[in-house]
Amino acid sequence: MQSRIKEGLFQGVDFLTVLYYLLLVAAGCICITAASYDEESASFFAFSHFYIKQYLWVGAVLIVALIVLLLDVRFYHMWAYPLYIAGIAVMVGVLIAGKEVNGAKSWIELGSFRIQPVEFVKIATALALARVMSNYSFSINRAGDLLRVGFIIGLPMLLTILQNDTGSGVVLGAFLFVLYREGLNKWLCIPILLIAALFIVSFLLTPMTLLILLILICTLSEAMMNGKWRSRIIYLAALALASTLLCALMALIAPNTMNIYRCLLVVTLLSLPLIAIYAYRTRLMNIFLMILLFVGSMAFVPATDYIFQSVLKEHQQKRILSFLGIVNDPRDIDYNVNQSKIAIGSGGFSGKGFLQGTQIKYNFVPEKHTDFIFCTVGEEWGFIGAVFVLGIMCLLLLRLMKMGERQEEPFGRVYCYSVAAILLFHILVNVGMTVGLVPVMGIPLPFMSYGGSSLLAFTILLFIAIRLDASTRQFPSN
Amino acid sequence: MIDSREGYARMRTLQVVVLLIFGVIILRLAYIQLFDSRYEELARGNTLRQVVQYPPRGEIFDRNGEYLAQNRPCYDLMVLYRELPQAGFDTVRLLDMLGISRTKLDRALRNARSNPRIPQIVTNFLSSETKLRLDESNLPGFYTVYRTIRRYPRKIGGNLLGDVGEINDAQLKLSRYAGYRTGDYIGQSGVERSYEEVLRGKKGVKIIERDAHGVVKGSYMDGMFDSLPEPGKYIVTTIDARLQTFAEELMRGKVGAAVAIEPATGEILMMVSSPTFDPDDMVGRDRGNNYMKMLYNKRRPMFNRAVSAKYPPGSTFKLVQGLIGLQEGVLSPSTAYSCHGGFRYGRRIMKCHEHASPLDLRDAVANSCNAYFCHVLRSIVENPKYEDVEHGFDVWKSYVNRLGFGRKLGSDFLDEGAGYVPGSEFYDDAYHGSWNALTVISLSIGQGELGCTPLQMANLAAILANRGYYYIPHIVKRIEGADSIDRRFYERQYTGIDTRHFEPIVEGMWRGVNVAGTSTMARLDGWDVCGKTGTAQNPHGRDHSTFLSFAPKDNPRIAISVYVENGGFGATIALPIASLLEEYYLTDTITRPWLLDRVKQMQIHYPAYAK
Repeated sequence: MQSRIKEGLFQGVDFLTVLYYLLLVAAGCICITAASYDEESASFFAFSHFYIKQYLWVGAVLIVALIVLLLDVRFYHMWAYPLYIAGIAVMVGVLIAGKEVNGAKSWIELGSFRIQPVEFVKIATALALARVMSNYSFSINRAGDLLRVGFIIGLPMLLTILQNDTGSGVVLGAFLFVLYREGLNKWLCIPILLIAALFIVSFLLTPMTLLILLILICTLSEAMMNGKWRSRIIYLAALALASTLLCALMALIAPNTMNIYRCLLVVTLLSLPLIAIYAYRTRLMNIFLMILLFVGSMAFVPATDYIFQSVLKEHQQKRILSFLGIVNDPRDIDYNVNQSKIAIGSGGFSGKGFLQGTQIKYNFVPEKHTDFIFCTVGEEWGFIGAVFVLGIMCLLLLRLMKMGERQEEPFGRVYCYSVAAILLFHILVNVGMTVGLVPVMGIPLPFMSYGGSSLLAFTILLFIAIRLDASTRQFPSN
Repeated sequence: MIDSREGYARMRTLQVVVLLIFGVIILRLAYIQLFDSRYEELARGNTLRQVVQYPPRGEIFDRNGEYLAQNRPCYDLMVLYRELPQAGFDTVRLLDMLGISRTKLDRALRNARSNPRIPQIVTNFLSSETKLRLDESNLPGFYTVYRTIRRYPRKIGGNLLGDVGEINDAQLKLSRYAGYRTGDYIGQSGVERSYEEVLRGKKGVKIIERDAHGVVKGSYMDGMFDSLPEPGKYIVTTIDARLQTFAEELMRGKVGAAVAIEPATGEILMMVSSPTFDPDDMVGRDRGNNYMKMLYNKRRPMFNRAVSAKYPPGSTFKLVQGLIGLQEGVLSPSTAYSCHGGFRYGRRIMKCHEHASPLDLRDAVANSCNAYFCHVLRSIVENPKYEDVEHGFDVWKSYVNRLGFGRKLGSDFLDEGAGYVPGSEFYDDAYHGSWNALTVISLSIGQGELGCTPLQMANLAAILANRGYYYIPHIVKRIEGADSIDRRFYERQYTGIDTRHFEPIVEGMWRGVNVAGTSTMARLDGWDVCGKTGTAQNPHGRDHSTFLSFAPKDNPRIAISVYVENGGFGATIALPIASLLEEYYLTDTITRPWLLDRVKQMQIHYPAYAK
């Protein structure tokens, strides 16, 4: 490879992607202007305004984007692991000595501005993942490799959840998207999604139902993978029989100590070593994964009450309860979502026009320039504008996937897909929450939300993908 | 590594997933933005606060243009729960400013919480000073609304003018009050209730744009959708404030009613129901307490006896018998009946007082002979012209009805009572069909089952004054902006008794006052007063005292009826009151201070209302 300066900085750059990016950033700037414009302020160009700050940020970020394009592709390969390790170290540091904002202890304060390291850790994770998965001998459906991948994704996820930043933690789950593309058995993907769904609705279910559903999901998915239906069904029947017998026995020996739920739990847990031996003997390594998934979920799901009470902050609990329709107090919990829906809904087909959105202008929508920036789109630009913005986002994602497909190396492909997955989850969760489809989680809308650190992180994330793609197109292989 | 064909398939799947996710979001957006119009309204409700602008209620004047009811400004404090600061606010200071109890504030906040978007009233009747202090402290979520409440410069006519109060839940459900909202004021009784539609005016609305903290950003669309309140129309009543004041003074301490009508027009000059109340008591913060106090007062000050009470008319009803007898031809002015201490029928006797005997009609009226009118009623009811007693009686009843008794006169008092005049069916029921004139003979002297309102009795006085017709008594003379009042008040109501038959009766009334008889004390030199006393037996103690009169005899200017419960003879108390009122109305002076003193100092014992 030769120096990029000589070849021309923009050679091979996918300009369509850059165009989408610029459109979104511009839309973001207009919306932030509308959202934070204050009629009563004397001058339009006062530095104290959010939008002026954002304009300056955009300028700075575009320079960073150039630097990203400037760097050699090998740089990203080489620095993937070190960056990842550094990122994890910073995350741990933040967990210990970070700044708490809105209940999430996930911020670093540098002078006058704050950075959320998880934004950058996403990049490092994507790079590290790409690096791991581009190893020549890597095979996703091999237990050892899969564990490695799980570790790379799981570690930052765990740290963000410990930082009380559930939203970002959920976004890291987006890497499942990439794993699927890279050939992860769909009968591993489906139970993970199911269990995630189970986790969300677990407050509605009794522990018994949860446990049974969990056993069913794991066993049946495993059966779908390995195809030995008879023995799996016998296993399920045995579980039921054994737990019933145990329950009856315990009722005789020590009444009121073991209910059927505890019996089933005990029997299931006791059966796990047997399954492990079976798996070892039959060389069905994916059974180990299932056991791991089950135990992991068991640590999560039946303990959800505990998690719900102690891990989730009160406002998050309320948001989830409110989203599930368990509590409904528009003034209190639902306030944000309701106001956001009102703002978007009142936009109608063509919107109220720039600076005409009363809900935005008069501060009915909280966090209107950051997490709820989409409300401005909905209210001032109407359905047309919202579809336009979403359309560009969708085109960008499809473009990224296409970019991933045309990479020669798995590194580039994995990375492009990672970017697409992260953006997709951000958009889904962010826009979803403003229209009331998803519980409220405080994550920004890529390229549009106010905030230098998030804009910078997303820009770097995207432009690394563009850079990787550019080098592929620069030297097309034959 | 994954082979490229498999990878391609998975890429396709993921593309579908992406498109599905965006599809769902866009469908949701379409639903919110295009199909669910609710959000637009909610957005408007968010930013726009509709501040009701209450119109001042129409004033009430007396016939000479004096204020009976005026308005004074006050403020309501409203709270919008949605705009309250979530951190809470300084309740102690607020309570201190408002001077209300903690529980009242809590109750208001609880109500507000259940409808966060609807302004709820916290307290009302705030002075301008308190309002200014509230404005200064600028509490988000609270705002004041200007409105007016009543004041009564003369403090008269409590149960005549009626009271104005907040509309209650039961009234809100009525279709006639469809346009009203909780918190609106509405005339609850008397004139205020009868002329509610005229007096209320029209509410205005001011639409104000605010931000999420309730800070006012200005008027919406430069006031394009604002409307100014239309003040209520004033009404000029037929009441003579000075006469009314004097009458209330005279009736103080007595239970009963006094009504004066201008015979030529049917205008009610004065209407007192005693005991009454100070109308200012029914305004403002103390309204609730005073209302309860009055509700538990056994004399029932809020009950308008003048239009609703059912009193036995006593001897004043003899005039009715005389008129019917003459019209039916069973009596002539010269008919004379002798009376020896009463009217004997069977083994019973209707007693009468000492007077010359026999008497003709004129003197029988002047002397109020019981026996004479027993004969008259008997000859009406047992008139051979009709096949039986029932028919005779029904003829009698139809005359009585046409004279304004036993039915509503149709005045502009919504609570006007009909009184009661029994029909033949009543006696058929009571006596299983076997009865005759003697059974019902007590009706002849206004006793028995009869029940008349003081208004009906005053109306009878007006009929006598007009010699045969009346105008429906009414309280309103003129309404602002209206050419006329209701047509029915301009129409002569004929009674079916020929004018010529009035001459002997009126002559008898004149004699009773001016020559010799029961009413001589009512004589006013030069004014030719005509009058008839009544003394009605009743189960509640001493006889009721009543007096029915008009003056002058020719071209009468005032017809009056006074009824004092347990006042004794007609001449004891009702007559002096009526006479003083007539004198005051006709001459503007009081020439008999001793009579005034006697009336004022008379103590009446009311066993029926004892606590």
